[in-house]
Amino acid sequence: MIIENFKHKMAAHCESGTITSLLNHAGLQISEPLVFGISSGLFFGYFHKMKSFPFPTFIVRNKPGQMRVNITKRIGTKFNEYSFHKNEDGTRKLDELLQNNIPIAAQVDFFYLDYVPSWERVHINVHFMVIIGKEDSNYIISDSYFPELIKLKANSLENSRFAGGSMSPKGFIFNVADIPSSINYEAAIIKGIKKVCFNMLHIPIPFLGVKGIRLFAKKIVEWPNFARDIEHLSHEIMKINILLEDQGTGGAGFRFMYATFLQEAANILRKQELGDLSRQLMEIGDGWRELSLFAARIGKNRDLGPEKLKQLSELILNRAEVEENFFIKLNNVIKRA
Amino acid sequence: MKEKEGIANCPEQQVILYVEKEDGKFGPIQTGSYLSANYLDDYFYKRKNLELSLRKRVIDGEISLVYYYTVLVDLSISELASRVGISKSRVKKHFEPKHFGKCSVEELRKYAKVFNVPVANLLQIVLINIDDNPESLFILENKTLNISIEQNSTGNPYLSMTKIEERMK
Repeated sequence: MIIENFKHKMAAHCESGTITSLLNHAGLQISEPLVFGISSGLFFGYFHKMKSFPFPTFIVRNKPGQMRVNITKRIGTKFNEYSFHKNEDGTRKLDELLQNNIPIAAQVDFFYLDYVPSWERVHINVHFMVIIGKEDSNYIISDSYFPELIKLKANSLENSRFAGGSMSPKGFIFNVADIPSSINYEAAIIKGIKKVCFNMLHIPIPFLGVKGIRLFAKKIVEWPNFARDIEHLSHEIMKINILLEDQGTGGAGFRFMYATFLQEAANILRKQELGDLSRQLMEIGDGWRELSLFAARIGKNRDLGPEKLKQLSELILNRAEVEENFFIKLNNVIKRA
Repeated sequence: MKEKEGIANCPEQQVILYVEKEDGKFGPIQTGSYLSANYLDDYFYKRKNLELSLRKRVIDGEISLVYYYTVLVDLSISELASRVGISKSRVKKHFEPKHFGKCSVEELRKYAKVFNVPVANLLQIVLINIDDNPESLFILENKTLNISIEQNSTGNPYLSMTKIEERMK
């Protein structure tokens, strides 16, 4: 069986894309940038030494799962959420919901998804997808990173839903329970923007927000100390491009999608200043993209001496300066809204 | 970013980018991954070198296949220990050939599940000879070969089936 009227659509990001797809299917016409912006998806965090990661890394989005929590709080949608101790219970519940023609979002480990090209497969427990049917021993998947619907073997889905490790999914699934009859988008947008400004400017943790970007700039010159050899360093430096551009961000570490959200917000709130800021953020995003292309180039050329890493560090530091100014302005505009 | 700057040709990996369209509005486009379009050959070059150097160390008795796969799938010791459900110190011991021999079959099964390989592949490396270069099945893009090699799990957690067949021409 397959839920025939579910419309598969690619999205920039798996979590915002999955939530958008489910809400659209339930009858709420809302765009991915609006979901992303209202749920305060934009973020920055730098992790120089963290047990879960074998190498220093960074994130450009809020905590996985938080978008669903924030969108629930801010626009009043409700989701049924289920997690499981036993694999069999998780599979039984999924099949039962599908039998009732309900599309289900699932949190999974990306590594076990057979349809993902080998170069993209990594152990990360926070990928989101929608399951919309089952045929024999395959599930029908709407994965927002792929242009078409995909078949996935039942045992691969089970492995990915019940992988262990940090942020283990524990079979977590959710579906839309209720859409409110009216939504105060203005209030939701304001709350969403305020939270992003707080996270970027004032969160009192030295490796998060703009402070995190500065720390990233400072620490990247130490990355050779963590690398096995030049090819490993090249791989990790080129991953900067993947994390900013390819790993479901809509480009420039979500800055382009957030600029699109601000343009939409400017129309809803009838605030031209937000429209001007959206253009500024698009330009800031161009700087992030320039930085990520620079990282890819020096990684490919193995041109990773101290001078080049210093140049990369300066490009990152420059993003910290412009983003600090940007979020101060955005914070001031939104305070007056 | 202007729309035309976001276009990259890579059918194997499509992405959604948000760009400025001609009318000044921002919105999504579907395009190819710039990195995969331009740098995928370098990724595979590095990956083959990494596998080769790890394979040599396994053959020389410096490291176990647990370490080999841990590096190839890019896991930290903490993450691997958490996924297998044993202590970090025990994982570190299993990285060494002399302690690897003390691994229980059940521990091997759990490692194999994390690495998504048959249990048997923690005791062997399957190589395929391509132009006189033996390459590891684990990192090969199997789709490009003249033969198809599939290693599938069965209902028995300790048994997998390896199926080798010539591809239809």
